[in-house]
Amino acid sequence: SREDFQRIPELAINPLGDRIINAFFPEGEDQVNFRGFMRTLAHFRPIEDNEKSKDQNGPEPLNSRSNKLHFAFRLYDLDKDDKISRDELLQVLRMMVGVNISDEQLGSIADRTIQEADQDGDSAISFAEFVKVLEKVDVEQKMSIRFLH
Amino acid sequence: IPSVSSIVPESCLLIVVGLLVGGLIKGVGEKPPILKSDIFFLFLLPPIILDAGYFLPLRPFTENLGTILIFAVVGTLWNAFFLGGLMYAVCQLGGPGLNHIGLLANLLFGSIISAVDPVAVLAVFEEIHINELLHILVFGESLLNDAVTVVLYHLFEEFASFEQVTILDIILGFLSFFVVSLGGVLVGVIYGVIAAFTSRFTSHIRVIEPLFVFLYSYMAYLSAELFHLSGIMALIAAGVVMRPYVEANISHKSHTTIKYFLKMWSSVSETLIFIFLGVSTVAGHHYWNWTFVISTLFFCLIARVLGVLVLTWFINKFRIVKLTPKDQFIIAYGGLRGAIAFSLGYLLDYQHFGMRDMFLTAIITVIFFTVFVQGMTIRPLVDLLAVKKKQETKRSINEEIHTQFLDHLLTGIEDICGHYGHHHWKDKLNRFNKKYVKKCLIAGERSKEPQLIAFYHKMEMKQAIELVESGGIGKIPSAVSTVSIQNINPQTLPLERVLPALSKDKEEEIRKILRTNLQKTRQRLRSYNRHTLVADPYEEAWNQMLLRRQKARQLEQKMNNYLTVPAHRVDSPTMSRARIGSDPLAYEPKEDSENLPIITIDPASPQSPESVELMSEEPKGCSGLPPSPEEDEEGLVMRVKEPSSPGTDDVFTPGNSDSPSNQRMLRCLSDPGPRPEPEEGEPFIPKGQ
Repeated sequence: SREDFQRIPELAINPLGDRIINAFFPEGEDQVNFRGFMRTLAHFRPIEDNEKSKDQNGPEPLNSRSNKLHFAFRLYDLDKDDKISRDELLQVLRMMVGVNISDEQLGSIADRTIQEADQDGDSAISFAEFVKVLEKVDVEQKMSIRFLH
Repeated sequence: IPSVSSIVPESCLLIVVGLLVGGLIKGVGEKPPILKSDIFFLFLLPPIILDAGYFLPLRPFTENLGTILIFAVVGTLWNAFFLGGLMYAVCQLGGPGLNHIGLLANLLFGSIISAVDPVAVLAVFEEIHINELLHILVFGESLLNDAVTVVLYHLFEEFASFEQVTILDIILGFLSFFVVSLGGVLVGVIYGVIAAFTSRFTSHIRVIEPLFVFLYSYMAYLSAELFHLSGIMALIAAGVVMRPYVEANISHKSHTTIKYFLKMWSSVSETLIFIFLGVSTVAGHHYWNWTFVISTLFFCLIARVLGVLVLTWFINKFRIVKLTPKDQFIIAYGGLRGAIAFSLGYLLDYQHFGMRDMFLTAIITVIFFTVFVQGMTIRPLVDLLAVKKKQETKRSINEEIHTQFLDHLLTGIEDICGHYGHHHWKDKLNRFNKKYVKKCLIAGERSKEPQLIAFYHKMEMKQAIELVESGGIGKIPSAVSTVSIQNINPQTLPLERVLPALSKDKEEEIRKILRTNLQKTRQRLRSYNRHTLVADPYEEAWNQMLLRRQKARQLEQKMNNYLTVPAHRVDSPTMSRARIGSDPLAYEPKEDSENLPIITIDPASPQSPESVELMSEEPKGCSGLPPSPEEDEEGLVMRVKEPSSPGTDDVFTPGNSDSPSNQRMLRCLSDPGPRPEPEEGEPFIPKGQ
């Protein structure tokens, strides 16, 4: 349950703690079983080359690049409309940056961010734009944790 | 037709030049100067290393630290012993000329020649632009293997003078490795912290800030060398440690100074090193022994390749992103030897090492071979193997935000798993940094500024400066951003500023208007205004501007009213739309100038009364033309900083104007007139509170 997660001390100080916790719980439920837990964590498995060749026909494995990005995208996008709006971005920025910075500054940063990423002019970042922005960032390496080694 | 420089790397050409010069000197009959070791180690090497350390891309470095360390330490050890051992075997077998060379001598030789040289690597890899990962791997290895080299070198040198080497000595030698490397790092860190601390107090003497950076780093190097610790590691540690704090503390000018000085010095050093290498080749006494030299060369290559292969196999078990065979090949191929090996060889004592000349010859041959052959062929090979190249893009703010976001995310996940991985420690370090260290080492308010904001400001400023330099109306950041540049201390500034996000149409409209009315904005000289006089293009641009203004206005005012430019600008129709509100604002320079000390570099006080004066002349019916070019220039030169007040007024007084957004649009632009855009960048570094 959520309280169990919240008892982890580091998560409490992590700015994104709440959102991460929420990511584990599928829609509407309040308990996470091991399977669900594993599913979420599976996003962070390092990408292996041989997997790609096997799974051409079936659904993509959970740890593919696009799924990883999708996971991150979902953390931004709270209302699940497949876009990161300015407000959502602002919220995330506010969480990461703390209380010292004024709202306008954050607002301008958010605007700048959206302006940079936005290609279809809807003042929000869609998943495709998100992917494009992060194409230079080595997501596979960043979003991978070696488990159980 | 490919030019010479695209085939031959610069270092090769420099060596050839050195050879020619040396030959020339010898031909004349004089004795050519040899690259003496102290000159090399004391004067030529530190700038290069400092440049490398100060600008080390920290993120990839720390991410790959494990790999780099393994390559540096284990790889070098392997190279040294393998080579030494094999050479000993060769010497034993090699016939009369070589028999007398003992094991120790060979091991010493091995240790000298096995070290990958940062100078050579830097020189060659700079030009081929391979991807960051490989670059940092080879380069990091070349930097960190200095510790190993120093230890081995001194060890074997000492041992050579002993009669007998005991196990105890060997163990001590092993321990000394840790002492040397960690000691070097410690020395560097201490000096780095001292430097950062010093920079906290330099807000009143900005001019000598760069000096501190150089001085402390050099002292770190010297101190470490004094105690036979690894000077290179000290230097790098100092650079890495002091950089974030120093950059937060010093002014923009100092930062630029440091950057360019370092680049300049390291460039000069590098050139000199290679030239000297060439000269020394001609000048030195050589003793050419075919067996020795050829086998050295041969075994060097083999040792390197084997070492890389084995180590990579081992390392790949622990890496997330594996090193492909292509990568391995580049790493192996990039193991260039250079001047450090030569100097170390030169340092050898004749008494103990009679075969010094032979060693030197062999060293030089290996250096030449690696630099020339490997250096020249690496570029086509990189192309041939289609190795990923470096992506030349600037970091966008998006990337920064998302990267940080991912960092937090990953840290959280790691905590959930209880797995103390890379992110966990990094996060811990960051927190520690924020909580304690930053408070001590960064002056004033800036200590609370989160990294994201700092980055954002940097970007904005860069863009503003770019905009100015390009002299055009390029892509304009959202209007509100310039406000935020000034807004370091949100508490002190009024917060009721209205910062609407401009819709694209409005932006377009504004741009169009301005484009038609403003012509070429003058090439404004940047933060160096103080020291440079206005040049001619300035005048030209002004002339054009004036003409435009003339055309645009219905002119009954053909007066030469040589008042201040800003005052006039208020009236010109081109600006009037944007500056409707600025009239009242123009009268408030005084009270706002208290906020302005942040902005100007020169103390604002002598100038602000001037500005008040100037402002107050406005109502006297001046409207007229902006003053004639010469006056203008003078006005501009003299009060180059000053007019920032009226400009910034626009920002600080909230919402008086009808079109605040337009104003800010303007501010972004390089509007004509002494509106030092970069000065706006200055407030980014508050000069004391």
